[in-house]
Amino acid sequence: MKPALLILAAIVLAALFVPPLLPWSHDAIDWDAIRAAPLVPGHPLGTDGVGRDLLARSLVGARVTLAVAAAAALVALAIGVLWGAVAGWCGGRIDEAMMRVVDALYALPFMFVVILLMVLFGRSILLVFLGIGAVEWLTMARVVRAEVMRLKQRPFVLAAEAAGAGPARIVGAHILPNLAGVAIAYLLLTVPQVVMVESFLSFLGLGVQEPLTSLGILVKEGADEMDLAPHTLLLPGGLLVAILVSLTIAGERLRDRFAA
Amino acid sequence: MIPLLLRRLFTAIPTLFAVILLSFLLMKVAPGGPFDGERPLDPATQAALARAYGLDLPLHEQFGRYLARLAQGDFGPSLVYRDFTVTDLVAQGLPISLTLGALALILALILGVSAGLVAASRPGRTVDEALMLAATLLTALPSFVTGPILVLVFGLALGWLPVSGWGDGDPPHLVLPVIALALPVAGAIAKLTRAGLATALGQDHIRSARARGLSPTRVLLRHALRPALVPVASYLGPAAAGLLTGAVVIETVFALPGLGRYFVQGALNRDYPLVLGVVTLYAGLIVLFNLVADLIYGWLDPRMRG
Repeated sequence: MKPALLILAAIVLAALFVPPLLPWSHDAIDWDAIRAAPLVPGHPLGTDGVGRDLLARSLVGARVTLAVAAAAALVALAIGVLWGAVAGWCGGRIDEAMMRVVDALYALPFMFVVILLMVLFGRSILLVFLGIGAVEWLTMARVVRAEVMRLKQRPFVLAAEAAGAGPARIVGAHILPNLAGVAIAYLLLTVPQVVMVESFLSFLGLGVQEPLTSLGILVKEGADEMDLAPHTLLLPGGLLVAILVSLTIAGERLRDRFAA
Repeated sequence: MIPLLLRRLFTAIPTLFAVILLSFLLMKVAPGGPFDGERPLDPATQAALARAYGLDLPLHEQFGRYLARLAQGDFGPSLVYRDFTVTDLVAQGLPISLTLGALALILALILGVSAGLVAASRPGRTVDEALMLAATLLTALPSFVTGPILVLVFGLALGWLPVSGWGDGDPPHLVLPVIALALPVAGAIAKLTRAGLATALGQDHIRSARARGLSPTRVLLRHALRPALVPVASYLGPAAAGLLTGAVVIETVFALPGLGRYFVQGALNRDYPLVLGVVTLYAGLIVLFNLVADLIYGWLDPRMRG
């Protein structure tokens, strides 16, 4: 878990702080270095088909990808925790009805629904993360519900109830803090899902739009150019894979720790 | 078995209806229309177009007509591919997408279950850990990255396989798309099989099978595998959904004339009937796959038949 978190931290820090330090911005064209290979002076990782610095583009792309992912994962966290906590706490018919909704939504072709949303309401970045967040909360809701149902039976909750604490206070002061561990683990596992969806959409031209860029767009551009300049595919692709793999490994380790 | 099926159908049909209604309503409230071009059309032409496509009727009547046509397998005209109906495009593209998906599912099952078996037979050893790490890597690798990289290596650099195109479905053209589509699913199946086997191997009937002196291989294959495949079976529904979704991007990467590519073109061009038709069709297919997965589930674990 440690190496995964270190790699992740390095990527986040680089995406945040390195682009302003580079000689070329992500959208500036260097007419003297079009489709340059890595290690050309001024362009440590080379340039793309129209002479834009690939290091700057990859880092800015990673920044957009991570920002969308973080925002969408928080939307998913908010909906999932709320939904799961209410269902788990109320139990009975309310629980059954709410979980039926989750089951029904699980059966939907997610990506198609998100694409439908993108098509219908324009391809704004705000909508990208709202749309993704709105479909990625289901697992969170299930996990939180199960956890709340378990916590509800614990002596300290029964004691609080016996001491006359109202439901709002019990949920707020006793249940939610104990949910934090599980919620963080699944939040970490939601982020790669969201990164995947965002890059998938951007790859198809349905997500983030130019002049903004994201790793999905860069992979698409690289795939179109790979016969001439394979590094334009391999660098952003590698960065995307590094983000996804380190998030998945960190999330799984954390989940296993809380499940045990 | 029958009650289980009926119960599932009971939730599946409202789900399907909700998808159709929701996507229909979303289409209606969306800004922009299929006839918005560079130049605005004159009002008379607009009215004529609206009448020709029934867009001037009240909403519930439009929805009723839409449902009635769907029931007859008619998804309406495609607005972008003007010479085709959506049904034509589906008839042309769906077999390709389903072929891809089915082959990828078979490959993923073979790879995933065997990797899970090998890993579970040597728990805690290097092989186990290496295989499970590989499985995690595979699930985290998006097919739109592995696809182009496979093309780069086996198509462009080594020249062993065709780079893109359907080639009338001859096998060499299918190899790379099917592999790229199957890998993430194979990773997930390997993990589920490994976890299922670990649970199954801890059960009493396994201990007695071992105590009777059965060979480890026989215990693993004959007694542990069947219950261990229950989680794999319940993953088949989501796997089918994942493969249909993955096919969209794989068809784009490899320039295959499947339904996914029409869908992306439709989405980029606001082809309402096409997008709506594909979403409805895929929702129906996924509901169907979930039913099949439930049947397999019930066959593997008799307690679920209830």
